[in-house]
Amino acid sequence: MSTTLKSENGLVRFFKWLWNGLERTMFLGLKFTFPSRFVSPLGFLGMLTFITFIILGITGALLMFYYEPILDRAWDSVQRINDVIPYGFHLRNLHYHASNAMVFLALAHMYYQYFSGRYKIRNEVLWVTGVTLGTVTILEAFTGYDILYNERAELAISIAASLTNSIPVMGPDIREAVFGAGFADFVLRFYALHVFILPIVMLGLMAVHFPRFLVFDVPMVMAISGAIFVTGGVFPVELGTKFSPASPPGVTVPEWYLTGLYSYLRSQYDKFVTGVLWPGLFIGSLALIPFIDRYKRFSWKDRPLITAIGITSLAQIIVTTYWGFYIDPDRTKSLTERLVIDPVLLYLVMLLLVPLSFGFTYMLIKLARHAEFVNKMEAAKKKAAGETRKSITLPENWTWALIVVLLVFQVYLNISAYYAATAGFRNVELFLVGIVLITFAGIFHIYRYASQQAKIPKPAPPKAPAPKEAAPKPVVQPQPVVEVAQKPVQQTIVVNPNVPAKNPATGSVDSQTMADSRNQDK
Amino acid sequence: MTQQPEKGSKVSRRDFLKLLAAAGTVLSFTPFIDWGKFMPNPIGSNLQKAKVMLPDGTHANAKTFQVNHSEAIRYPETGDRVLDEEPFRRWQFIRLPAEYGGDRNDVSAFRAYSMVCLHLWCLWRYWPDENKKRGECPCHGSMYEPRTGKAIAGPAALQSPPANVLPKLDLEVDADGFLWILPPVMSPNANGVVGFGRFAKGVNV
Repeated sequence: MSTTLKSENGLVRFFKWLWNGLERTMFLGLKFTFPSRFVSPLGFLGMLTFITFIILGITGALLMFYYEPILDRAWDSVQRINDVIPYGFHLRNLHYHASNAMVFLALAHMYYQYFSGRYKIRNEVLWVTGVTLGTVTILEAFTGYDILYNERAELAISIAASLTNSIPVMGPDIREAVFGAGFADFVLRFYALHVFILPIVMLGLMAVHFPRFLVFDVPMVMAISGAIFVTGGVFPVELGTKFSPASPPGVTVPEWYLTGLYSYLRSQYDKFVTGVLWPGLFIGSLALIPFIDRYKRFSWKDRPLITAIGITSLAQIIVTTYWGFYIDPDRTKSLTERLVIDPVLLYLVMLLLVPLSFGFTYMLIKLARHAEFVNKMEAAKKKAAGETRKSITLPENWTWALIVVLLVFQVYLNISAYYAATAGFRNVELFLVGIVLITFAGIFHIYRYASQQAKIPKPAPPKAPAPKEAAPKPVVQPQPVVEVAQKPVQQTIVVNPNVPAKNPATGSVDSQTMADSRNQDK
Repeated sequence: MTQQPEKGSKVSRRDFLKLLAAAGTVLSFTPFIDWGKFMPNPIGSNLQKAKVMLPDGTHANAKTFQVNHSEAIRYPETGDRVLDEEPFRRWQFIRLPAEYGGDRNDVSAFRAYSMVCLHLWCLWRYWPDENKKRGECPCHGSMYEPRTGKAIAGPAALQSPPANVLPKLDLEVDADGFLWILPPVMSPNANGVVGFGRFAKGVNV
């Protein structure tokens, strides 16, 4: 190539100046890591949750331009956003699916941290703020779907207000103070909670919750964003029916993250116990786990009891979530028959899940240990045979070709999305834009791979039989590949040079330590 | 952390100073406790005798209102379009089925109960179907007896009094058969509290 992109113009210098200026900001203690090759997203699920929070902030702020939190206009304004405002449908879909993604990613993040024991060694504060943050996230998502004020939302608001009311002694006063006198107040205050109070609480908790090590993996971020678009295209969010007090709605089920709670409410047992006390106990015991877990090891395999408790909670969440969703479709039966879950059955199943989960955990640990042993034996065998690890390598020309193909694909997608938009196929467009983003993730990944490959010195051309005596292994130098694997996996940008480059001992939430430990395993 | 107080004196000078500072801090913020009254919305409404206005805008009349039929009515009305949409102001106005005395042309054929279910505040309504003839809540299946407003099945029926009997409005029929709502007393021992219930005396169904 005759030109180079390396020339340093004023703009580049400006950005560098800006970047250096960050040293004076609160980012001082943070260390961003931009992985230069693929790392497992499990290590930075928290960052991905934050990304969805940002998406929600942007789309939500835009929706605020048109939404009206007034009892008899809320639904109509949402309908207008959905049907009249250009791209309102898109933003509403993104906002809805990003909220689901955020709840899901937060849960996945929590369970990953739980099973890998990362709440240990001075990470207890991170864990407790994280559990609180997760709870607030669910409240945030809940208040969000309530202010649509469709039939389902009205029921959800009723349940939230009456559950608050059911708290002994203070309940009615808390309800009056927090939610107000009636539904006109409920909608307005849920809106205030949703757009300002809860996000501010979340930001405050995040300020505490953020570990010093952050991974910002561009392809993964784009893939998650793309996935949200694609989901919005395939399952466009529903508007529901406008609530009318004159004709009360039929049977409605809450959002998926609350059907677990709903299944308990359907068991007819006292509403305070099932609706407030049980979830409170669940969240409380989760928050206390770091102080209960006394194992000295991190891996789930070395903490059988804690792992079994985690598996039990997961099993119970999954079972009750499904149970809450399920309503007998037979309309000839009475409503009570269809809705009420036999409390004896429900609680028996919950109890039964405990020994089952403990047994399952025991089996998992046994299997994992066996697999570990087999792997070790095979590795030893291979070592004895002089084999090395194989890895997929892509020739340089191919990477260029692939990127060009993906670029052409993106052009095609852009044109298709434009036509879909003009033809009024709004969810098709949303879907295509999602694919555009995912394609970008692919391009970035290949680019990153290729630029990493370019740094490896080209292996010496294969020579005829090596002069060395009786070398049993093939002569083609396998060295470079091995070297890559042992190199630090990421390029790190250390904003503050005083912060140590890595600190595996803290076991903090970053893929740096994860990747490092993985390398050490090899 | 400070030097030990001398014998005979309870607190050292420094500790005394700290206590004064703490008291000052507490007193500085004391006025704001009452500011908590900002939070609950004081919607006062004067409860007066009112017509039973049906959704179609007509005044309910005992001579024309169908037997075994119900409508959602508003009480008390504020005149504010938004506030009148309030579910807490919604009452289910029922004319009982004939076998429960609904064919009589006096006030005993009519009932008006708060539509807010006593379980989790969803809105129930009356089902006139042959095999139902009762109030049903769509959320968790609470059922209400139309004559008394007592929860007979579902989670609301399992709640302890007053949370198992619906608040009611007292009605009156004038000489022309028009129905009126008498001013209620919103307390658990009288007409009941919306969403909270009513102590029912002599309710046995």
